Amino acid sequence: MIKFTLNGRKVETDAPATARLLDLIREEHLLIGTKEGCGEGECGACSVFVNNLLQNSCLIPIGSIEGADIVTIEGIMETEQFKILDESYSIAGGVQCGYCIPGMVMASAALLTKNPNPSEAEIREGISGNLCRCTGYNMIVDAISKAAKKGDGLWQRK
Amino acid sequence: MDLKDISTSVPRKDHKGKVSGQLAYISDVKVENMVYGVLYRSPIAYGKIISIQLPNLPEGYEAVGAEDIPGPNYVKIIKEDQPIFANDWVNYIGEPILMLVGGDLNILYSLLDEVKIELEEHQAIYTLDKAIKQKSVPGVNMASYEFGESLEIISAIELKAHQIIEEEYDTGYQEHVYLEPQGMLAIYKEDEIVVQGSMQCLYYIKNALLSALACGDDDVRVVQSPTGGGFGGKEDYPSMMACHVAVAAKAVKKSVMLVFDRSEDMVVTTKRHPAKLKYRTAIDKDGNILSMCVEIFLDGGANVGLSSVVLQRALINSAGVYKIPHFHSKGYVLKTNTVPNGAFRGFGAPQSFAGIESHIGHLSKLANIDPIEYKRKYLVKQGDPTITKGNFRDPILMEEMIEDLLNASDYKKKKVEFQTFNQQNQRYKKGIGTSLFLHGCGFTGSGERDHIKATVKLVKSKDGKVILKISNSDMGQGIYTTLSKIVAKELDILYEKVLYPDPDTKEVPDSGPTVASRTTMIVGKLLQRAAKKLKDQWQSGVEQEVVEHYVHREMIPWDEKTFTGDAYPAYSWGVNIVEVEVDTLTGNLKLEKVYANYEVGKVIDDRVMKGQIDGGLAQGLAYGYLEKMTSREGKIQQKSISDYGPPTSLDVVTIQSKVFDNPYADGPYGAKGAGELTLIGGAPAVQAAIEDALQTSFQQIPITPEVIIESLWMREGEEG
Amino acid sequence: MAEKIIAYRFDRLDQTLSQLNNENCVIIAGGTDVMVLHKSRRGVPPKIPKPIVFIDHLSELKRVYQNDKDLHIGACCTYSELLEDPFIPSPLKDAIKTIAAPAIRNRGTLGGNICNASPAGDTLPLLYIYNAKLLLRSVKGDRIVAISDFIQGPRRVQRDHNEILAEIILPSILEGGSHVVFEKVGNRNADAIAKVGFAGYIRLNGARIDDVRFAFGAVGPTMVRSMDIEKKLLGKTVPLAAADIAQIVAAFDKIIKPIDDQRSTALYRKTVALNLLRYFLSMKQYQPN
Repeated sequence: MIKFTLNGRKVETDAPATARLLDLIREEHLLIGTKEGCGEGECGACSVFVNNLLQNSCLIPIGSIEGADIVTIEGIMETEQFKILDESYSIAGGVQCGYCIPGMVMASAALLTKNPNPSEAEIREGISGNLCRCTGYNMIVDAISKAAKKGDGLWQRK
Repeated sequence: MDLKDISTSVPRKDHKGKVSGQLAYISDVKVENMVYGVLYRSPIAYGKIISIQLPNLPEGYEAVGAEDIPGPNYVKIIKEDQPIFANDWVNYIGEPILMLVGGDLNILYSLLDEVKIELEEHQAIYTLDKAIKQKSVPGVNMASYEFGESLEIISAIELKAHQIIEEEYDTGYQEHVYLEPQGMLAIYKEDEIVVQGSMQCLYYIKNALLSALACGDDDVRVVQSPTGGGFGGKEDYPSMMACHVAVAAKAVKKSVMLVFDRSEDMVVTTKRHPAKLKYRTAIDKDGNILSMCVEIFLDGGANVGLSSVVLQRALINSAGVYKIPHFHSKGYVLKTNTVPNGAFRGFGAPQSFAGIESHIGHLSKLANIDPIEYKRKYLVKQGDPTITKGNFRDPILMEEMIEDLLNASDYKKKKVEFQTFNQQNQRYKKGIGTSLFLHGCGFTGSGERDHIKATVKLVKSKDGKVILKISNSDMGQGIYTTLSKIVAKELDILYEKVLYPDPDTKEVPDSGPTVASRTTMIVGKLLQRAAKKLKDQWQSGVEQEVVEHYVHREMIPWDEKTFTGDAYPAYSWGVNIVEVEVDTLTGNLKLEKVYANYEVGKVIDDRVMKGQIDGGLAQGLAYGYLEKMTSREGKIQQKSISDYGPPTSLDVVTIQSKVFDNPYADGPYGAKGAGELTLIGGAPAVQAAIEDALQTSFQQIPITPEVIIESLWMREGEEG
Repeated sequence: MAEKIIAYRFDRLDQTLSQLNNENCVIIAGGTDVMVLHKSRRGVPPKIPKPIVFIDHLSELKRVYQNDKDLHIGACCTYSELLEDPFIPSPLKDAIKTIAAPAIRNRGTLGGNICNASPAGDTLPLLYIYNAKLLLRSVKGDRIVAISDFIQGPRRVQRDHNEILAEIILPSILEGGSHVVFEKVGNRNADAIAKVGFAGYIRLNGARIDDVRFAFGAVGPTMVRSMDIEKKLLGKTVPLAAADIAQIVAAFDKIIKPIDDQRSTALYRKTVALNLLRYFLSMKQYQPN
């Protein structure tokens, strides 16, 4: 029996220790915001926070998250920070097909929490593990930069 | 909606669901009584199936194969050469042979490992070069066309020419890497099968299902799920998956879900055709072009699929944006025992433009003229004939666009600066390159009139909402937004009052597939007309419906046999300038600056257009130097995203772009196509920039670090 | 029909070691390599053939400390943790920054990079030229082994099944005074697997070479390093004479034997490896870093 916190709620599971956190999130908890794009940690569509750090849930065997604090996109949807990202992505035109976006938003939030005023280079670095095939990234970079400005002071609060 | 200018951006219709991740793509869907399907695939490239032995299947697990197909065993596309389940011959590694269905994926994968197959292996054709050598062998030549100046006249010109320049140019595979892998679900119901999934072309799928299931029009229904990127990859391929799940659902009387792994998707789905392009050009002593012959060979893979149409577009673009005297062109789609190739943004044009831009660039060096100046000498002008004896009848802004971009990029100054830099720097070399290109909007020739016959419908509800009833997919390119906007503006109602639900063939007429940069121009125009009609007869408080059908603007009629006439109703145009820095120790390339000017008639939404520019150009640039896929003995070698290498955020730079207004009479508010155009100029511009940096010539894309290092190594050898 | 999976996660290292002494297990630290290596298909857990021991939470394996001039790095420190640690030398940080992308660096560990023993392991060329030593711990006690002895081939290491890689020791690294270069050549700027890796180390006494080391990654089954070749340069003065450079390059030309694969070609790997070596040797001056 593995116990951990998912979006602030204590949960437990009988799934084998090798089960991927991604499958647990999607199949047991029916949270669909965490997507599978590659299953090998190469696309970032399955990004979640593990103890506040951005990680790829497809590479995490649940045996290693005993007691950990897991947050998915559903877990940040109601926050002020998310609202700012939502708006900035909309204004900057960062969303096309949308499949990479929840992961991209998680990476954006992780970056801004750590570095509330990133340079363009730091933004590119921050989302470098999140593949997007539609936008060529520039409008996403712009979205994050807008979110940094708009959310001034908000990101450190965490 | 009171937008002064249609181009002013509005919020995306699908933004909320996407940014929160709560929009359900097909793999997020679960329905009652659903089982999974997994495919057993051919382990060999070419051979005959002797026998198949299935393992003992536990209860609830079943196998589905060719014998379960109610209709004929092929996926209806153009030719009848693609089996749904191969049951006699297999033609490529990964070809589907049968499907196992059941509730637990883990068990299904184990069962798959236990399937035993006996095959009689035959000699396969693995490479395009081999296919070219064998092109007279029956079955190898899957399609061919020839047109242009007579070869006698060209021979006479060549006899008197100062020099004949011959070049051979190769382009590689390109893989779509849409972020959402392919997925399809067949929902089983007593009286109908509903096929739902990630797709671009609902009615292609519906027609394929009507054939495969041999059923009536009301017995199948196709619904598009939110589609996580297409780029052409979800144009033809989903028809086969739809047949698989629908046949299986019918056979096992359960709903069947088929979702690919990334590696499976990379290995078995269609890709951009690898091509070989041959140029033979006669020049005079000043380097002026006297005549040109082009020969194009496309690697079709194992089935013809859409390849003949891809070849048509490749050939129509074989002279690029140039008016070349005495031009002759010829092309083939050849069969190889490799994964079938299909649609990919640009549809044959990227290969042709890479080739012709390379060749013209090399001719400019012989003439000792800056490439951009040499190209401008041959640039087509309004009123010029096309190479298929059609006509460029609309205004062409290329001269203005080129001039503007040369200024924006400071091209002439950069040329000089880079020369100095390169003299002083041993390790790093800088270069700047240009590309000029166009894209024919909509289907080739009379396709819209003869094959597609698009119909659109608008339904107005009692409470004044207007619903778009069309079969076109938003796969990220933004048509939910742009088409809704056209209707809102025309009706002068709030944008929010216009609804565009996920298309469902039970609800929508066939407005054609979402391909060929046709949606905004063709479907958008039909919607605009429908909206105008609705506005004229608008009555408050009642439900109303209007329907519009495609009307062909007759120009010079297209004749596929002679390959003459107006190939497209309109053209969109582009100019790219790229600056690179090459590391001569590693061959690695750094994109430094990218500039782009486009003309697409009239932009329907600035932000959506910028999304197309940045995303398309990123793919086009990467096609030229970064993305590399190879096949060895019929097997795709790059099975993971990182081995293939599409650009990350650290590989792309800011793109300085501008779009020129040039409204087109037959497009909504003057709009033409834009989606494919943006990809086309990337690769040739990057090649030109690398050549400028290294002062050498290349005859292929992608120009990977391996190609660069090999070229430098050879040069070192020559220089002793 | 879920097969039974046995997995252990102890609170302390000693408990972990005693379990390893009883049973041959697969050790998972960050898991970023193990999960891919044993990957099954979509929707199914990886197939790991042995019982599993999770170790990435063990605080005993996460310390970074100085011991005289040596630097000790806990094997389960993640890449991100090392990037923020003031003790870690900057060339090593530069190498770590080239690994994958932030989410992987938040999970992957230095110990994992070593035990995975990939010919393309990103930190390995540097660890070789730092003469890294590995502290292996078991219920029987500690054992220290040179990294070049530990790594024996692709995914083959000299670890007894009852041992854990506890610490990576970088001897005398805090003395400073050396000039170190690291270059990773990948197909793109993030999330790339090395096609060639090169690390160069040089320590001068005035213009005389006191110590020099080179290691190449992704050009053979393990890192290529040759003390014999390095020795030829000792006592020479910089800038090096063209003939000396040519001699060293020629010597490596003989022992670097890369392969063609889906990522690159043998010709490319070899040419680039030698290019980077030649470039390093041709530098006019070397600033300690």
